[in-house]
Amino acid sequence: MPKVLIVDDEPFIRLLLEQTLEELEDDGVELITADNGETALEIIRAEAPEMVFLDVMMPKMNGFDVCQAVKNDLGLSEVYIVLLTAKGQEFDKQKGIDVGADIYMTKPFNPDQVLAKTREILGMAP
Amino acid sequence: MPPINIAKLIKRRDFAPVLNRLVAALGASVIIEDHHGKLLLSTADAVRQTGYPVSVAGEIIGWVNGNEQAGAIAALLCHQAESEFEKRTLAAETLNKYKEITLLYEMVEQVTCCLDTKEIARLVIEQAKRVLELSSVAVLLLDKESGLMELVATHGQELDGTRSIRPGVGIAGSVWSSGRAEIVNDVPADPRAAGSARVSSLMCAPLKAKDQVVGVIKLGSAQPVNYSADDLKLFTTLASLAAVAIENASLYEQLQEAFYTTVYTLAETIEKRDPYTGNHTKRVMEYSLAIGRTMGLDQETMTRLQLGAVLHDVGKIGVRDAVLLKESALTDEEFEQIKRHAVYGEEMISGISRLRTAIPGVRQHHEKFDGRGYPDGLSGEQIDITARVISVADSYDAMTTDRPYRKGLTIDEAFAELRKHAGTQFDATVVDAFFASDVMEAYFIANSRKKILDTID
Repeated sequence: MPKVLIVDDEPFIRLLLEQTLEELEDDGVELITADNGETALEIIRAEAPEMVFLDVMMPKMNGFDVCQAVKNDLGLSEVYIVLLTAKGQEFDKQKGIDVGADIYMTKPFNPDQVLAKTREILGMAP
Repeated sequence: MPPINIAKLIKRRDFAPVLNRLVAALGASVIIEDHHGKLLLSTADAVRQTGYPVSVAGEIIGWVNGNEQAGAIAALLCHQAESEFEKRTLAAETLNKYKEITLLYEMVEQVTCCLDTKEIARLVIEQAKRVLELSSVAVLLLDKESGLMELVATHGQELDGTRSIRPGVGIAGSVWSSGRAEIVNDVPADPRAAGSARVSSLMCAPLKAKDQVVGVIKLGSAQPVNYSADDLKLFTTLASLAAVAIENASLYEQLQEAFYTTVYTLAETIEKRDPYTGNHTKRVMEYSLAIGRTMGLDQETMTRLQLGAVLHDVGKIGVRDAVLLKESALTDEEFEQIKRHAVYGEEMISGISRLRTAIPGVRQHHEKFDGRGYPDGLSGEQIDITARVISVADSYDAMTTDRPYRKGLTIDEAFAELRKHAGTQFDATVVDAFFASDVMEAYFIANSRKKILDTID
């Protein structure tokens, strides 16, 4: 059963992403949420989800650190990581590339695009 | 489909441990099944005694069967399902609003930097398709000449029939007259639809700029839809954004028009002074553009080239008639006066900021590749590419044009002259490009133009 992990400290964004991807649950996809980087890292380590939506700006362990740990320290390079950045927020693209993120996405995100991208990554029909 | 899937609910990571602990703490003996009776969870020693339904929003989504404690478990599941249902409903509504916001964000970003009305119409259609239930959309804009709204963009077939509308006629016509958006959920029943309706439901909104209705946008569905006040609000917001952008684009078009009319008028003045040149300006422009295309010049250079070609002789306005129109050979002193037209041309257009890029073409069009031209004696690539092109086009046209006091050369003779002076008077690359271009086609295009600049850009 494919897993998608949603990591954001803002409940609003978690709720919206969950709702956006909800229809995938009917096709057997499991949606998991986490509200901080440390929990996220534990879940990724234990369950190696196919795809992770990862907020960059989080207290304690930020998205860059989580990504770095997953892609390099844990060696889970096949986990597809989408970094979430806020519009207007300074985003260091070079750093995103350095830590091994696959793509980045700006909030407010376009729900249709998020769903389409997720289907693509999970290898599901559009 | 039940509003909440009980199988998913009891497996939720944040709820499953709570459920299991409670079952253990109560010493409950339970069998949990979904509404089809499919077993989801059962304690080791469970025996069926009493069945307690789990329901949400008045619908049974599953059953808890077992001893007395099973009732408490069922109550917990009901509560959990209700709150999950509430959360889902809110989340769905929130996501809808969120989609609208992202739509408006994107729309503002795309539309405000777009200066082409057709493109704006197309963008509005794309965005409307994303958030509103519809099978066709049509955007109509006021045509100032016909006084009618003319179709500029569509999606789907049902609204294609209306290529233009009159004020007050039909639903769109009455929206135009009233300036107010409308929902018509039962189109066939609306007398204004006049029985020709191919859509069941539609919404129509005016595109207003400064209280003037400059267009209408209508969208419809072949299947009946109940468009709500919320839908209409979103739709009119899209329409207002589009209207502002369209107004912006039309102001820009007017500005372009004014600019080109000015350039055209400037170029015309010199043709009026020297009627023998008839169409010379147009031909030089067409030859220049043909050469430029063959050489693969970029868009920016092509624009400079076109403006430079049109205005190359504009400075002749400053040369006295006695010299400019003289039909016999010029004295050295008179020739010096003629030569000044290149500099006069620059002086004339330098005050117009948008014509600055055309200056090299105007000032340098009599420079020669070997450095023996005027006014500055530039050579080779010191001479701007537009001037090197205009020089070939101008010379070819001058050679092939009849004057009252001399017959023009034949095309073959003129070609031979160009070839002979390639590398000395002319840039050989430009001459080659000229030979590789369709010169005859350029000639006919030039002569069939009414205005010098009617198709610039």
